[in-house]
Amino acid sequence: MLDFALYVATIAAVYALFALSLNLQAGVTGLLNFGHVAFFGVGAYSSGIVALHGGHWLLGVLVGVVVSSLLGAVIGRLGRTLAADYWAIVTLAVAECLRLVVVNEGDLTGGPQGISGIAGPFSSVSGLAGSLSWLVLCVVLAALAYLVAETLTGMQFGRVLRLLREEPMLAASLGHNITAEKTRVLAVAAPIAAVGGSVYTLYISYIGPNQLLPIETFLVFTMLIIGGIGNNRGAVFGALVIQLIYAGSRFLKDIFPIPDQSASSVRLLIVGLVLTAFLMTRPEGLFAEKLRRIDVHQ
Amino acid sequence: MFISRGVGKSFGSVQVLRDVELEIEPGEIVGLVGPNGSGKTTLLNCLSGFLNPDAGTIEYDGTRLDRLADWQVSRMGIRRTFQTASQPMKMSVLEAMLCGAALPIGSAPVRGLFRRKARAAEQAAAVGKALELLDFLSLSHMTEEPAGRLSGGQKKLLSLGVALMTDPKVLLLDEPTAGVNPTLRLTIADRLKDINANGTTLLVIEHDMGFIGRMCERVYVLDKGSVIAACRPDELKDNPRVVEAYLGAPRPVHVATGVSRP
Ligand SMILES: Nc1ncnc2c1ncn2[C@@H]1O[C@H](COP(=O)(O)OP(=O)(O)OP(=O)(O)O)[C@@H](O)[C@H]1O
Ligand SMILES: [Mg+2]
Repeated sequence: MLDFALYVATIAAVYALFALSLNLQAGVTGLLNFGHVAFFGVGAYSSGIVALHGGHWLLGVLVGVVVSSLLGAVIGRLGRTLAADYWAIVTLAVAECLRLVVVNEGDLTGGPQGISGIAGPFSSVSGLAGSLSWLVLCVVLAALAYLVAETLTGMQFGRVLRLLREEPMLAASLGHNITAEKTRVLAVAAPIAAVGGSVYTLYISYIGPNQLLPIETFLVFTMLIIGGIGNNRGAVFGALVIQLIYAGSRFLKDIFPIPDQSASSVRLLIVGLVLTAFLMTRPEGLFAEKLRRIDVHQ
Repeated sequence: MFISRGVGKSFGSVQVLRDVELEIEPGEIVGLVGPNGSGKTTLLNCLSGFLNPDAGTIEYDGTRLDRLADWQVSRMGIRRTFQTASQPMKMSVLEAMLCGAALPIGSAPVRGLFRRKARAAEQAAAVGKALELLDFLSLSHMTEEPAGRLSGGQKKLLSLGVALMTDPKVLLLDEPTAGVNPTLRLTIADRLKDINANGTTLLVIEHDMGFIGRMCERVYVLDKGSVIAACRPDELKDNPRVVEAYLGAPRPVHVATGVSRP
């Protein structure tokens, strides 16, 4: 039971990384990146592939950070010629292409079976000490990501992003290059998700293409909506709530006669119900985006 | 010096601007008037890089502007406001003001993250300037309010303030006093004169001829996309083409009031 609780907390911290990254894009900047899972995937597979070739796990994380940032910049660059809604569709397509490449390039990625037996930082630490080390690492990373996201959102960089989300023409009239700013935020946000992908892969020592399905992106969107889109604290809490729902649904089958094979559908059903309840009764989420106070006494 | 030569712009088959010639000397206050739909806003969009003209050239101090993007024109020190001044809902008035400032350290995601002190110092200077401008525009009491919740007139004032954060060389204003009460309108006129006295060149679109008369040394009149007059404001009422454009009939009219003479 303790092990399970530690697992849930660790995964929640990892999901907080995905949610904070998506919040910078969708919440702060208003970029509906429906292919967010691609950044997770780049981190995850960088770690997997580096491990497969006997590289140090840190190298995998580093490769993930660099490649995801480049991918973010490329996806952002597509926004120069596409309207926002078309861009959103393209991001979904990019992520799906990436998943299909992963499925089909078996020599590199392990194909549909994925890569297993990946060694992480605490592979030699067993039992409770190992689980605790993982939890501490993931919570520290999530806290760090929160700090980075919150600082970025509050400083002029994020201020301009928030302005161009609400008033793009006004932003342009003040000399802000909208497409360049969008590209920059994607390049900056992507590595946060990639680190999450790397850590996730190292933690469960496995990565497969089924973890790159679009549903993963929508799950992160759900976290933002429940937590409060545009609010970094909301992103963290949204991740926690979804993870608790996931964990809680395991115990549902002890109470109700749910066949094993439909357990995951039941989970999604519950998430859907919670999401609908929030949209109907509290559309701004648990933590609504607030005005930022500017320190006037310096 | 701001120069437009032979500027034309069409939307589909509708020609909105044709052969517009315009010259603005540094330090001038120039008016731009004309009936509704005559192309004033479209011309301002062309001058500010929000639209690229189909024909002709626009130059500022020898640099061609007509193929630049909106933000590039803005960075050259040519700033504009909009006919409908909209402001962000999720930002305080003070924060909206900071959006108009140039804060290079805070704008750089990586550098800004690590250089906390320099970032704060840079912002503190901008905050000081923003508070001064808000005071100047009689908005000091609204500093912490959501910018998007201001009244229409207050939003007009705020847009002006935001545009002034970098001390622009040229300000292009689209009806800065539309929907503003007469007393505040006089205040805005005074403020614009102060701004001009500090060295900013102004182009002002206005429907209120009284306002134009008080503010401008010269005024351009647009009708159906063409410049039909460029003169001193007090010469407008004696110009038959201008009178006709406004009233559709060749009849002597007092332009400022729109009332026919007996
Ligand atoms: N993006 C556009 N697409 C199509 N037509 C446009 C566009 N922008 C302006 N027009 C048309 O161009 C003409 C001139 O519009 P513009 O806004 O420049 O007039 P204006 O002189 O500013 O009028 P007002 O005094 O009412 O603000 C109008 O007939 C308008 O319908
Ligand atoms: Mg107009």
